[in-house]
Amino acid sequence: MLTRHRELLLWLVIGLLAAAGFWWAGRSRAPAAEEGRKVITWIVFISPLRDLYEQQIAEFERQHPDITVRIIWVPQSEYHMKFKTLAAAGQTPDMFYSGDVWLSYLMPFMADLSPLVKRDAGEIGLDDYFPEIRAAMQHAGRYYVVPEAVNISLLYYNRRLFRAAGLAEPSPEWTWDDLVRAGQKLTRPATAGDPGVWGCSRMEGWWGEWLTYIRQAGGTVFSPDGRRCVLDSPEAITGLRFYLEKSSKYHISAPGGHEPLNGFVNGRVAMLVVGHVNFWLNYNQVPDLDWDVQLLPAGPHSRTGGEVAIAGYSLSRTCRHPEATWALMKFMTRPEVIRHVVARGGVAVRRSIAEAEMRDPRGRSHPQNLAAVYGQLRYSLPIPRHPNFIEIMLQVVQPEVDRMILGELSPEETGRRAAGAVNAYLATFAPPAP
Amino acid sequence: MNSRRPETLWFWLFAGPALAGFALFSLWPMLESLWLSFCQYDVVAPARFIGLRNYVYLLTSDPAFWPSVKVTLVFTAVQMPLSVAAALGVALLLNQPGRGRGFWRAVYFLPSILPQAASVAVFVYIFQADGGLLNRLLALGGVTGPAWTSSPVWALPVLIAISLWGFGYPMVIFLGGLQTVPRELYEAAHIDGAGAWARFRHITLPLISPVLFFNVVMGVIGALKVFDLAYAFGAAQGLIPGGPARATLFYGLNLYQQAFTYFHMGLASAMAWILFAVILLLTWLNFRLGRRWVHYGD
Repeated sequence: MLTRHRELLLWLVIGLLAAAGFWWAGRSRAPAAEEGRKVITWIVFISPLRDLYEQQIAEFERQHPDITVRIIWVPQSEYHMKFKTLAAAGQTPDMFYSGDVWLSYLMPFMADLSPLVKRDAGEIGLDDYFPEIRAAMQHAGRYYVVPEAVNISLLYYNRRLFRAAGLAEPSPEWTWDDLVRAGQKLTRPATAGDPGVWGCSRMEGWWGEWLTYIRQAGGTVFSPDGRRCVLDSPEAITGLRFYLEKSSKYHISAPGGHEPLNGFVNGRVAMLVVGHVNFWLNYNQVPDLDWDVQLLPAGPHSRTGGEVAIAGYSLSRTCRHPEATWALMKFMTRPEVIRHVVARGGVAVRRSIAEAEMRDPRGRSHPQNLAAVYGQLRYSLPIPRHPNFIEIMLQVVQPEVDRMILGELSPEETGRRAAGAVNAYLATFAPPAP
Repeated sequence: MNSRRPETLWFWLFAGPALAGFALFSLWPMLESLWLSFCQYDVVAPARFIGLRNYVYLLTSDPAFWPSVKVTLVFTAVQMPLSVAAALGVALLLNQPGRGRGFWRAVYFLPSILPQAASVAVFVYIFQADGGLLNRLLALGGVTGPAWTSSPVWALPVLIAISLWGFGYPMVIFLGGLQTVPRELYEAAHIDGAGAWARFRHITLPLISPVLFFNVVMGVIGALKVFDLAYAFGAAQGLIPGGPARATLFYGLNLYQQAFTYFHMGLASAMAWILFAVILLLTWLNFRLGRRWVHYGD
């Protein structure tokens, strides 16, 4: 039996424990200033550049004894969930990774860097960035990203397979027709004991390749005001048709769903349209893979249409120490760091580094055709700047494109269905593209 | 009254933390999600009340909603009966007297303790269009196998086949039920000339019907909530989860993507409440129909 006194005491203890628990769970985890030092947070996903980043941060802190950098490492697949959770909790990291695909999506969190970029234009070497890269750093004429790396869509080809077929390597003047002609000569059907060769790959499951064709045919995804999807335009349908007919008419690509796993790496696919520069290191680890790159073949409207996607850093709108964070951004994107990134297989975002690389290609592995790598920049476009672009493309449009390549829909039906679904989505949820 | 005070106190002392946990971490989030289902909410900006727009969009315009409902219902209609039948069949075999019975029970249960994602990754390699084990075997017989995992026609059947791999839990429950059937009834039926099928039909099935009913109800609920299987299936192939062409876009996966990939928390909440209503309805229906065939021995 408990006395009334003990009962009250028990309730008091329970109450105190509960209050302590709530306090502990809800206490702020914002980094506090350490002995007068400015603490800035940087969220970055785990990548092969981790050791480079850690070395650079150590050097930065040595040069700036009043600044401490706290890196929040996140697996790439969880990056945006972690970022948004931190933002929802009022703890948006001071500096964060952003890039072309995510630029519009992360726009509500980004500070306008224009005043800082213009003030320090000489120090950061603004003119040293390729004009196309400078354009990709901006949105509506304002700077939001300082780049570290870039991906450029290219035509990749297996030189050994071209030699074996007695074909000249792709030229910068190539068009879709040349791609088809070469692809047909390179295609060798599978037989017993021979897995065969496909002349050209077809990237399935994302927009990279089919959006390139749509743009090269003169089409696009959104109307200029961003309020309407125009994937049902004749130009867009021309691009979709070429994407489909690579397998259904020209037979240079595997049918839908049959793309050989790692086909380009194991010599079962002779050409790869669009690709990604992140794979260069992997390709160069395959001993017998003799490969190079060329400009993307031109479509019926123009050669322009491939993707230029920068990867870099942005400053949080709620940053507590903007000058200290800006100093870190400048430090992490200075030429010395970019040279390290390029040495590890990346593409230079700075013209001076690219030109030095082209002047002295000694010791350089594949690709050899750096003129094509940097020449393709002129024909590249950023991803359409819509905050919901990724969701719209992957969740609304891509399933219709999947059905097209599997023979369930014609290009016309695909364009019409995709545009209708996107327009319903835009009318309900998405704000128009700025 | 006074004599009940200590009992009341002890009740709150022991049940209180659990009830507080339920109220705080289950009931409150549920009610919050009901409110959010009428809002547009992206986690960062404050929730904005939009009335029934989430529900209207889901039911009339969302290109993914009805395909995900269809995928889930087809999966439930095919997988649940197959899974229950397989579990019952194996349980009947493992209930027979004989040497090594314990070993085989362990063998059949083992797949259930494997992580779903690991099993799916292995099966995806088996079903791979180019170089997969199944298509290599078919090629030996001169048959060109389809692109099992990347074909909208075959992807769902493949997932159903993969899901049947782990029927260990319903099997154990069936085994428990089978062991409660009195042996005398079988002996009496045997003496009266009843064959194996008649004994199963008229003795086993009625007496294990509560267990069968439990497995059916849990199987339906489990099938309607499938998520990890479909997520791992897409991830193992490096595809967008739910592909190809939404052929494996389960309702649970669609809900997860709306909430945690695209941060449409209001839309996802509306989806969760629709699913809750459907599960409630189907469970009620199950209980109504169960009255006709479940025997509780009273």
